[in-house]
Amino acid sequence: MNAPLAVPPHDPRMPQPLTEAQAGLWYAQRLDAANPIFNTGQYLDLRGPLDLVAFADAVNGMVAEADALALRIDDAGGAPVQWLDEARRPWLAVIDLTNEPDAEQAALADMARDMAAPLDPARHALAAERLYVLGPRRHLWYQRAHHLVVDAFGTDLLVRRVANLYAAALGQGMPGPSLTRPSVVLAEDAAYRADPRREKDAAFWRETMQGAPEVVGLAPGLAMTGHRALRHAEPLDDAFADALRAAAATHNLPWPDILAALVAAYVRRHAGTPEVSLGVAFMGRLGSPAARVPCTLMNVLPLRLAPDEAAPLGAVLADAAKALLRGRRHGRYRGEQLRRDLGLLGAGRRLHGPLVNLLPFDRLPEFAGLEASQHVLGTGPVDDITLSFRGGPDAAGLRLEIEANPGLYDAADVAAHAARLRHFIHAALGAPRLADVPTATPDEARWALQDLNATTHHVPDTTLAALIAARMQAHPEAPALEFAGTVLSYAALDARSGALAAALRARGVGPGSIVAVALERSVELVVALLAVIRAGGAYLPLDLEHPEARIARILDNAKPVLALSARPLPGQVPVLAPQDWPLAGEAPTQGPAPGDAAYVLYTSGSTGEPKGVVVEHRAIVNRLEWMRQYYRFGTADRILQKTPATFDVSVWEFFLPFLAGATLVVAPPGVHKDPVALAALLRDGCITTAHFVPSMLAAFLAEPASAGLRLARVFCSGEELTAELRDRFHARIEAGLHNLYGPTEAAVDVSYWPASATDRSQPVPIGHPVWNTQLYVLDEAMRPVPPGVTGHLFLGGVQLAREYLGRPDLTERAFIPNPFRPGERMYRTGDVARLRPDGAVVFLGRSDHQVKIRGQRIELGEVEAALASYKALRQARVIAREDKAGDRRLVAYVVPAEGFDAAALRAHAAARLPDAMLPAAFVTLAALPVNSSGKLDRAALPAPDYVTVEGRAPATEAERRIAALYGQVLHIEGVGAKDDFFALGGHSLLAVELMLRVREDFGWDPGLGALFEHPTVERLAALLEEKPVSDSGLGPVVRLQQGDEALPPLFVVHPAGGISWCYGGLARALAPRRTVYGIQAPALAAGVETPPSLDALAADYVERIRAVRPRGVVHLLGWSVGGIIAHAMAVRLAQRVGVLAMLDSYPSEVWRSQEEPEENAPFRALLAIAGYDPDNLPDGLELTREAVVAYLRAGDSPLGRLPEAALDGVVRVVRGNNRLVRQHEQGYFPGRIIHFHAAAQHAGSAISPDLWRPYAGDVEVIDIAAQHAELTGPEATVQIAPPLAARLAACDKKDTA
Amino acid sequence: MLTRERMRADIAALIHEDPEEIGGEDNLIDLGLDSMRAMTLLVRWNETGLGLDFSEFAERLTLDAWWAIVRRHLAGR
Repeated sequence: MNAPLAVPPHDPRMPQPLTEAQAGLWYAQRLDAANPIFNTGQYLDLRGPLDLVAFADAVNGMVAEADALALRIDDAGGAPVQWLDEARRPWLAVIDLTNEPDAEQAALADMARDMAAPLDPARHALAAERLYVLGPRRHLWYQRAHHLVVDAFGTDLLVRRVANLYAAALGQGMPGPSLTRPSVVLAEDAAYRADPRREKDAAFWRETMQGAPEVVGLAPGLAMTGHRALRHAEPLDDAFADALRAAAATHNLPWPDILAALVAAYVRRHAGTPEVSLGVAFMGRLGSPAARVPCTLMNVLPLRLAPDEAAPLGAVLADAAKALLRGRRHGRYRGEQLRRDLGLLGAGRRLHGPLVNLLPFDRLPEFAGLEASQHVLGTGPVDDITLSFRGGPDAAGLRLEIEANPGLYDAADVAAHAARLRHFIHAALGAPRLADVPTATPDEARWALQDLNATTHHVPDTTLAALIAARMQAHPEAPALEFAGTVLSYAALDARSGALAAALRARGVGPGSIVAVALERSVELVVALLAVIRAGGAYLPLDLEHPEARIARILDNAKPVLALSARPLPGQVPVLAPQDWPLAGEAPTQGPAPGDAAYVLYTSGSTGEPKGVVVEHRAIVNRLEWMRQYYRFGTADRILQKTPATFDVSVWEFFLPFLAGATLVVAPPGVHKDPVALAALLRDGCITTAHFVPSMLAAFLAEPASAGLRLARVFCSGEELTAELRDRFHARIEAGLHNLYGPTEAAVDVSYWPASATDRSQPVPIGHPVWNTQLYVLDEAMRPVPPGVTGHLFLGGVQLAREYLGRPDLTERAFIPNPFRPGERMYRTGDVARLRPDGAVVFLGRSDHQVKIRGQRIELGEVEAALASYKALRQARVIAREDKAGDRRLVAYVVPAEGFDAAALRAHAAARLPDAMLPAAFVTLAALPVNSSGKLDRAALPAPDYVTVEGRAPATEAERRIAALYGQVLHIEGVGAKDDFFALGGHSLLAVELMLRVREDFGWDPGLGALFEHPTVERLAALLEEKPVSDSGLGPVVRLQQGDEALPPLFVVHPAGGISWCYGGLARALAPRRTVYGIQAPALAAGVETPPSLDALAADYVERIRAVRPRGVVHLLGWSVGGIIAHAMAVRLAQRVGVLAMLDSYPSEVWRSQEEPEENAPFRALLAIAGYDPDNLPDGLELTREAVVAYLRAGDSPLGRLPEAALDGVVRVVRGNNRLVRQHEQGYFPGRIIHFHAAAQHAGSAISPDLWRPYAGDVEVIDIAAQHAELTGPEATVQIAPPLAARLAACDKKDTA
Repeated sequence: MLTRERMRADIAALIHEDPEEIGGEDNLIDLGLDSMRAMTLLVRWNETGLGLDFSEFAERLTLDAWWAIVRRHLAGR
């Protein structure tokens, strides 16, 4: 008797609890009952003469011993239990396929079908044994078992046992000891649960995992097993095995430990983190009778490693071996339990990343007289990726097997990892340090360096000046430039810029000289830029809104020979003002050469000094010719110029039109910050091409006026274009969307990506290199990285800038020799990026302290330097915070010295930094928090309190409302009357949001300009109170509530008075989901006629809805007369209507039966709009215009502030509507009317919602305990909003139809 | 011919111990033997023509237990 342990007596046919190893699998299968991934399976391909009877006896002999294969598991009585069910023992089925035309295919298909069938542990036999007879000398032995009953080690036991029994049956040896029964495992499991060792193991793992960072794998995404796994297997060659054996000998370590260490290094390269946590499969059987029990015991525990790339390889390998050894000592503790201990429950909360499975056991046993090969079909769930190495203890017959979750990887990814991992490990085995080993294979390196950068394209070696001169002469009569109503032909532009060029030349401007240009957007600005270039000089744009100190520093560095400016500039530079420009003169015949500078742009510099980037003609010509030809610009194009000239995007806006013979449309100053004006300009100016910084595009799309715009192309650059923004863009605007990327140091843009409506990329890549340009994603050792690995982005090619003006030190650091193209240069962008498998580059962020605020590139060092020049300061650090998603602001943390004054510091900074670089908040600290390594502890920096201390509380109602709006937009509390929107951290994009809210709350929008002029609560409130209501609050469509853009909006139609402000409470009650627009009578405006019929009115409103929402479902609601109009609109909108709701509206025959309204009806309507019940007014209120207006004013209703003209409009509209309703004949709307019935009013009356039945497919009545006049008041709103919201939500999905 | 003494010497060499330090009933796991090293020993001993099976060895890791298995195999030849 060989059983070394006494087995506790028990009957295996009696129910037993599940082991710890089984329980996790059982629950996982239970949760996903249709998932077949829990089936494990393999087949042995047996070639040669098989003794069928002896083999069947051998398999059945094994089956008779392997009780686990006959288990049944059920939880009918509560907790799951298992017992032996003899009826389930999987005796061998012999399947004769010798008559099949393709017997092997038939066998494989049969196995695949079996593997794909999910098993119910209560109802199905969990294991199967089949022998497919393909021919006399070819047999496939298939084994399948649910992972609940057997693991890989157990399967191996089964195979060995069969080989043993088969050999014995043929008289070639002893049968050997039989397999051990699973009862010992149950006993051990129970013993371990009670053993104090378990608590020690738990403590070990808790300590090991303390402070473990979030797990990162080889691919982003949720690591949760799918229904199948991708499989890849390949033999590793002798050279690999030799290298492994040599390393094992050198370092005196077993080969599995070496492979674990190198797999960790490989995964770490991909994760880009200092350490990784691999899953390691522990056999869980050593030194236990379970070593001979086929069952499920395999355990996966984490292996935390932080391989030091710079350390000698031996040290890295030894560290890993030590960690593995420690883990093995505690390898009995279940990984599932450890997850629970650490609170890592739920999908996505992981204990470890990729799994490494090292199987150093003997290869297949001998099958007497047969050649056998093993084919694994499934090993159970695969959450992420499993990297397995199989081979003999001497590393003979080594194989790499990969299983991957198809939700995270595709077949190409798996093949790429297999090749790359093999290459990486092989190279590392012979390397002194990991740092010496490239991540990419030679093939991948060649692809990344050469194939992706094969961008050679012929571009003439010429200058902007020559190209533009040629175009000007080609079609002199064509319009070249439009600005605020002025149109200049190419001939006129030629004449004016030529004359100025001559004047510049006369003042000594020529190749090599710099001319400063400090002009607002205007015809003169364009003329100036062209003239400088035609004179052979380089232009240096200056923004006069920047602080004088900064302009002075730039002028001091650039030393321009002349400035073209309407104002004097700091320093000695002579100024030639536009009024002194000549109108006649011949451009110099001798222009610049391709290698001369075309422009100098200053960017933020980390040392505190702005850096002047010098770009040559050859570089910018390449960029513009690529763009012109690639995007097929032609003479019909109208290109918008709205980017400030100091920002490099403006370069193509200015010059591309003149290379294409197109028209340059120059936006008036200020328009680039005002979405409403911009939308009008795009629409009315027939613009074909415009540029947006993504954050500005987001604000623009939030503006109703941007809906339905059509352009040929919109370009984005300057910051990250998100997938969400791309999709929002295509939902609202019909145009090609193109994502461009490039630093000022490489002639505007070096890469492009079509972010079209069909693009599903997430994130949106920056794409591929433009002509004659190289993009390199390199690791720390300047080696190309393979797809998926993060690296530093470098640029090469013809577009690189010449230098930083007067800063050879900075130039040398940023522009380095190109190691891949000898003799050329390469620019270090400081950006972090990775390649996608298709070669597109994805931008991931900055590697340094450069940030982008509203598309502007900012070196935090420059901001810090400006602060540091303030005397009473000990220390200053500036960081970019994103306390509200999508709203990044600069915050300065300062440690004051004696004499510190916060206001003085702010003023000091404002005098030196442009707006975008000025911190939105200054936080004073006693000391800057540092971490253990002495670095600034960013996490310990407090979120700023943007509120200033001085000032007074808001006093008037308008001040209180404005202060509240500031608070909502800026996410702060306690805004005072003196507080300045911009000083509190507001910026132009938030300003847009604020003004949208002002428009909602006050019913009109004084325009963004008003906020810039009146930025404090006090002054903006005064403005809103003083000024008469402008037309905007009474416009035909007003947005009452901004909700989720993706959901169909609700349009609420005005009642008799023509104004829809009364729906404000209802709109707010539907927040934050629903966007609500009010439809108002156009006839409120003086001089607008009331339409001839209610149908004509409805048709007009439908058109207005189409302008806001060109496609998809819309919801309609109307109160009283509004309901009749909404019904008429619904008849027209037909299929597009989601919900048609009425607040107590009745068909027109009810109106015809009523008496004509009294003279004072308009004033009753006005009171009704304001929320008063006109039938229940305070005593003594006369229904005259004066009295009603005074009453509304006293109640602080905005209606009380309606200007005279608007009051006249209301009177006109009420009378007009009465006429229209009485003449109206309802059409038929086939959908349903949701009727909110003023039950308190009509109790017992003949006026009933049923009167609508002839005019609609269905009427649903919801009784509201209110009078008709009270239906938009707060009490009724709380009754109406919930059922309305539910019905809106139910009908949103119609959108797909 | 595999002997108990050669087995003891092989085990000792692999875990850097003197053969005298290894008692017949000592748990070899406690002495630092792991599955990989056990496997290495098994492969070496199988070179003498024995069909030793890892799972049998893995059940109980003591010199005496292993010797019992080997003796049975030797006897069966």
